[in-house]
Amino acid sequence: MRLTPVVVLAALAAGTLPAGAQDVPHRHVVRVLRAERMGAYQGRDRGPEQTDRFSRKVKLGRDGRVSIGNVSGDITVTGGSGDEVSIEAVKRTRGDQSQLANVRIVVDDRPGRVDVRTEYDSGRFTRNNNVSVDFTVTVPNGASVEVKSVSGSVKVTGVRGAVRGETVSGDVTTSDTPRVEAAKSVSGDVTLSGIQNDGDLSASSVSGNVRARGVKAHALDLGSVSGDLAVSDVTCDRLNAKSVSGGFEYSGSIARGGVYDVNLHSGTVRFVLANPTGFELTANTFSGSIRSDLPLTIGGTSGAGRQRGANNRSMRATFGDGSATLTVRTFSGDIVIAKR
Amino acid sequence: MDLVARVRAGDLDAFESLYREHAARLYTLACRMAGSPEDGEDLLQEIFLQAYRKLGSFKGDSSIGTWLYRLALNHCLDYVRSRRAKMNKLTETLDADNSFEPTARRESPIARMDLERAVERLPEGCREAFVLHDVEGFDHKEVADLLGIAEGTSKSQVFKARMKLRGFLRGQR
Amino acid sequence: MHPTEEALNAYADGSLTAGEAAEIELHLGACVSCRQLVDDLREILRATSDLDLREPPVRVWPRLERAIHLERQDGAPRTQSTDADDARSKGSPAARPTATRSRVVFAGLAAAAAAVVLATAVGIRYLPGRHGDTVGSRPPIETGAQASATGAAEAVESELRQAETHYENAIKGLEQIANAEQGALDPRTAATLQKNLAVIDQAISESRAALRSQPASEPAQASLIENFKTKIALLQDTVALINEMRKGNEAGAARIVSGLKEKGN
Repeated sequence: MRLTPVVVLAALAAGTLPAGAQDVPHRHVVRVLRAERMGAYQGRDRGPEQTDRFSRKVKLGRDGRVSIGNVSGDITVTGGSGDEVSIEAVKRTRGDQSQLANVRIVVDDRPGRVDVRTEYDSGRFTRNNNVSVDFTVTVPNGASVEVKSVSGSVKVTGVRGAVRGETVSGDVTTSDTPRVEAAKSVSGDVTLSGIQNDGDLSASSVSGNVRARGVKAHALDLGSVSGDLAVSDVTCDRLNAKSVSGGFEYSGSIARGGVYDVNLHSGTVRFVLANPTGFELTANTFSGSIRSDLPLTIGGTSGAGRQRGANNRSMRATFGDGSATLTVRTFSGDIVIAKR
Repeated sequence: MDLVARVRAGDLDAFESLYREHAARLYTLACRMAGSPEDGEDLLQEIFLQAYRKLGSFKGDSSIGTWLYRLALNHCLDYVRSRRAKMNKLTETLDADNSFEPTARRESPIARMDLERAVERLPEGCREAFVLHDVEGFDHKEVADLLGIAEGTSKSQVFKARMKLRGFLRGQR
Repeated sequence: MHPTEEALNAYADGSLTAGEAAEIELHLGACVSCRQLVDDLREILRATSDLDLREPPVRVWPRLERAIHLERQDGAPRTQSTDADDARSKGSPAARPTATRSRVVFAGLAAAAAAVVLATAVGIRYLPGRHGDTVGSRPPIETGAQASATGAAEAVESELRQAETHYENAIKGLEQIANAEQGALDPRTAATLQKNLAVIDQAISESRAALRSQPASEPAQASLIENFKTKIALLQDTVALINEMRKGNEAGAARIVSGLKEKGN
């Protein structure tokens, strides 16, 4: 980022910032975020759990599309041999048995696709969230699957088609599911393994960790606000990783000519690289340190006249053939380049 | 009133006509230069925003299409320059990893989508030279001027890009 | 003895002299692997000349339109030109503006902030790792060679204030929408988002403190900007989530998550 010339900003040190300069207050928004009193959250029913089961099988064919949309409850999807979608669902409530009827499980069956969702009678989430529905679904393992819940976990195993798994409050976990394209949560962890994706993978949480093991992808997009990002046994051509209060670790290999951008605030950035042919590193930290096991040649090429040489906190350096591009920023964390 | 004059006078419909006429060409250029349709989309928006602001400086000494193209190209080049590792470094290491045992004669022509995808995967450095020379049709001298490199570098980058494409399209990384 | 791959490449695209080409042709008559390479390269050239135009996504024009309206509201000049722009529009890279004694192109915080606000308002994804100041044109601030330190400090101070104003406006805009929607999030999600906004605010505080103690520090500047952007993005996504929940569209709410933390929101 091309920023203000040094000479101009030097005067700031004289403390000439206006007195009113404060952090932008978000209290107004916070007030709005605070939930209104909702009947559903008061007087939680404490009766015995009432359940109702639902079961359906739908023929799909080997590589159709399946989508599952839920509001409250977990979703578990497993890839199996065979060509049908097998849906098992359990409605649960601690309130009155009759409430279970207020939630319907709808299955739309069309050529090449099966769409499953829950429908709440009144149409408003808030009135019926004392009923949850847990889904256990088996799909043909070549299917592509899209799974969404609002309050509940999402788990996908052994599915070979394109997969998207998202929830607002809950964990997202995939394993042995090579073509995950998106895995996201707001409040929950994202844990992936066994990714072999020609294209792009986007994995993020707001308040939760993102971890992936055994990843081969074209572009990786990882994000969190307060959570760690960690990928191991990984290779990709492009990487974009960002967290505010969390660390980053990448253990694997980088591609020649690959582009890797990492941006943290208070976490440590750690690259553990297996036999990299080379990269050009631009590393910046305000109060952390930068160190590398690999021998770096300090100083990039022409740069926009901002080259101040290496210091502990800001550096442009080259390793090997300089073919990949690593751009790493952290505010108060360290930057570590290690070799495997 | 002609289209440009109407845009200058604040006619947004006229600007939309201009957009409809030229967007595909500029979007295509932006996608290939930037290496992804996502970046291409953002670049396209910036390009047209800039065009809107700068239409005052269009003197009519070229067609509006040419003017827009130049603006787009400059914008793409700025973007590309601010990102990539230095090209000179790359030319020293034309990789030998494209060699492999030839198998059967190529059976079917290359599909457009495959080639587009392969071009996006080209490493930065050779991708821009390839796009400008082989796709957009600039000669090596012009490419060298645009990218700020030597003419020989442009030739070797384009060569490298073609060999890489060959590797990708034959199913190798 | 095979010709080099470079020579075969030149042969394939017709850039050899007749004599050189004839020599290669002779070799190709007897060599499968070289012929294969030439065939492949020719096919690549053919396919490249046959590439389609790509249609931009439909959403681009409406966003552009919104951006232009916003600019008009801001009172920004609708069309403008500078000498540098003129030179550039002639396609000459050598005419790029560079720092000279008499003119400093000031890609300051305010421009970056305005750009971000504009971008998020019209839904352009901000891409971290790109220069934040390339969206829109940079307002150059002319500081003559005789600019006093005080003058320069004032310029920077005003830049920072402008940046804050821009971000505050963005926040206010988001608040208005949120207020109108009467928050419909469940308490746990609301608490999570609130907590994470606080995390970002804490990060913003730290960046500011760093910038006060070391104004010249690029990491400090960059981190402040980055944190502002993260905050805007999270607020924007929060509002979108609230909207979806209010509509009773639970499936839509889950869909919103797709937008959350999508690189570069």
